[in-house]
Amino acid sequence: MEKKNLLILFILIGMTQVSAFLGVFNLGVVNYLTWLVMGLAAVKFFLVAFVFMELRKAHFFWKFATVLIGLLVVVVVGFWA
Amino acid sequence: MEIKAQNIDHKDIFYPPGGILLWIIIILELITFGLGIGGLVYYGKLEPELFHQSRLQLNTSIGTLNTLILLVSGYFMTNTVLKLKSGAIESAKKYLVWTMLGGLLFVGLKSYEYVEKLTGDLDMGDNMFFTFYWLMTGFHLAHVLVGLVILVFSWWQIKTRPRSLQVTDLESGAAFWHMCDLIWLLLFPSLYLIF
Repeated sequence: MEKKNLLILFILIGMTQVSAFLGVFNLGVVNYLTWLVMGLAAVKFFLVAFVFMELRKAHFFWKFATVLIGLLVVVVVGFWA
Repeated sequence: MEIKAQNIDHKDIFYPPGGILLWIIIILELITFGLGIGGLVYYGKLEPELFHQSRLQLNTSIGTLNTLILLVSGYFMTNTVLKLKSGAIESAKKYLVWTMLGGLLFVGLKSYEYVEKLTGDLDMGDNMFFTFYWLMTGFHLAHVLVGLVILVFSWWQIKTRPRSLQVTDLESGAAFWHMCDLIWLLLFPSLYLIF
């Protein structure tokens, strides 16, 4: 379990570095990069929720509510920004 | 030393890991910050150049570093709960201290960033971008501070009264701490990267 969590942490760190690198570009102009950055944010959000918070053990309702809110924010930012 | 472990079926809708009250708070907080981010991108669409120029005045390196600090701190928090569940109290205490240090580092860096902004005359009334920046990061920082208080209380309880400690108590504190992670993971790209 601890090794798995450490692996997840390294994945999260890697994705954060990629996001920060993409932020160098003017994402407001290059729309697909906005989607990419928000997509990475969504994956990180779900990894923290399901692995670190152990949401995977919870009832479907809590999983659904968390995923729905996370996806809604990502989609709203992706479409509007 | 024994820790009171409870056999809880987390698949029951009323018993998510961390407790139902905490999860109601988490869902409400995520909705609140989600609406804030919605407002941010809405106004960003109205004044794209202003938001782009304002975003460039934020220190992305500090934002990235703070994200990494929260993620590592969250990892330590997860290990704290795991160690406590397995009865390794000393290890749990050490991980909890590292978790709190991560939180303190986040607060320190955020404070430095705030001072940097204030000395550059970038306060809340500067423009709409900075209104959102101050409100959302300030509100988030308040959550981190509350989380730190909960962690200090948990640490004190493990240190002084481990026999009366229940794993579910620490799980609730952990869920609150991870909530700060979740919120920041949405705030960071929205404020520091996309405009």
